[in-house]
Amino acid sequence: MIKALAIEFYKTHRRKIFLVVMAMIAAQLMWALWSFSRMDVRDLEQGWISSLFQFTLLNSLMMPVICAVVASRICDVEHKGQTLKLLNTIIPSGHIFDVKFLCGAFYMILAVLFQILTILITGYLKGFNGEAPFELFGYYLLFTTAVNLSVLLLQQVLSLLFTNQMVALTVGLTGSFFGLFSLFFPQSFQKFVIWGYYGVLMFIGMDWDRATRITNYYLTPIDWAGFVMLMVQFLVLYIIGRVIFSHREW
Amino acid sequence: MAQIITSTGLGKKYDKVMRVKDLDLKVPEGAVYGFLGPNGAGKTTTLKMILGLVKPTSGSVTILGYPLNSRNRLSILKNVGSLIESPSYYGHLTGAENLRIFQTLRGLPEKEIDRVLHIVRLENQKTKIVNQYSLGMKQRLGLACALLGNPKLLILDEPTNGLDPAGMQEMRELIRSLPNQYGMTVVVSSHLLSEIDQIANSVGIIHKGELVFQGSLDILHQKSKRNIAIRTLNNPMAAKIFQGNNILFEQSDGYLILPDTKDELLARYTACLAENRIGLVRIEAREKSLEDIFLELTGMAVSL
Repeated sequence: MIKALAIEFYKTHRRKIFLVVMAMIAAQLMWALWSFSRMDVRDLEQGWISSLFQFTLLNSLMMPVICAVVASRICDVEHKGQTLKLLNTIIPSGHIFDVKFLCGAFYMILAVLFQILTILITGYLKGFNGEAPFELFGYYLLFTTAVNLSVLLLQQVLSLLFTNQMVALTVGLTGSFFGLFSLFFPQSFQKFVIWGYYGVLMFIGMDWDRATRITNYYLTPIDWAGFVMLMVQFLVLYIIGRVIFSHREW
Repeated sequence: MAQIITSTGLGKKYDKVMRVKDLDLKVPEGAVYGFLGPNGAGKTTTLKMILGLVKPTSGSVTILGYPLNSRNRLSILKNVGSLIESPSYYGHLTGAENLRIFQTLRGLPEKEIDRVLHIVRLENQKTKIVNQYSLGMKQRLGLACALLGNPKLLILDEPTNGLDPAGMQEMRELIRSLPNQYGMTVVVSSHLLSEIDQIANSVGIIHKGELVFQGSLDILHQKSKRNIAIRTLNNPMAAKIFQGNNILFEQSDGYLILPDTKDELLARYTACLAENRIGLVRIEAREKSLEDIFLELTGMAVSL
């Protein structure tokens, strides 16, 4: 299994997956620097918390696409070179599924870590007030990773089962719109779509006062039930996806 | 001779239709077994069932003496190299990098990469990205991949597909040399009879999912031997005369078919008929080509 995982990373050589992740991070850094270019004292006081809020919004739009691209880059090499029938004579197909997911998960975890680094860089450059809230970063890392990996898993299943990667990429693009628009719907609705969990697990709220034009950010209770529900969906999807892939005839 | 692959009643149903029916394959150890059949006959499906890539609807397969099942499949296949339908490769990697993937997954020493590259004569192209390879080079890379670890059994599905005549000849020579040089048994499928005739010493002919012939290629060659066909005005009388003179013959379609013989003997036979006042209508030499036999067996005239 370790050998197969190492080989999976070896296969991503020249696939520029890291570049895809870094391009997203660069875009988000540019957006953050622009967005926080004119901050008053009040904004600086809420700098860290508002960053986490805004990056979550960005994630709901961008991460589904990045997940789709990463999963597709990892899986389509097998379709293009018709290698699955050969791999299936060497290692169990379930292991192929596992290592592909772990490889994609590595890049998606890396993406969240770089995001946190981006927030830290922005915060120190702009002079956000107070110490960086590492506990909140911990929650952000946990929840964003959990949603990312669930979306990545869905994309991997599609990318492995459909030779034509347009199917998976179209679902990814549609998912990003679902993710963004679900933020405007009640949480009960958000929980129906996997991309809606960026919003479900957001632990920061925003209150914009129309009269004073002042925005207040505040912490909200963490929806642990939503987190458990996401994990259940993840497990069910993993088991179903792995079984379908393993029983496929080549 | 021991069998390296045996299948019993092997069958596969797709969309309620049996695409492969009751296949009893027997592949002798050390042979180059030609698996011959027209396009769509069920060759690839059969080979995939042997490798466990497709689950049989009925029957069983034994490889290297072990009945193949989902638990022992991968351990049996450690001794089997395969190239099914088209070569498997990662186009964005070099030839050597491709081989490294399968060498590592198979747990083989690194020197295996250079060994197989040497066999397929790709040493000078090993640092080239595979997407820049010609089809022939990709086929050779696929063969190199199958040769990793010097497997006891090699299964090659139409390995010369898409190659130019020179590439085909090179691939055939390479395949033919494998049993003697490396002690392998090779199963090679093809829809080209001439190709199987050049490479194989044992053959299985499949048609519409059924095995219509299996055995040594020599048996097919014997069937293709020249015969003498004689037609007379009184065949029953001529037959009696031949029987009386201990002349071997068969009767077919109004002809007396004799094995090919010397001109002097043939002259004596015709003289014998003349002495008995039996009018000789026609005498002709008949030769069945391997193609004729194949067409007889498969009852069709395609893909040749």
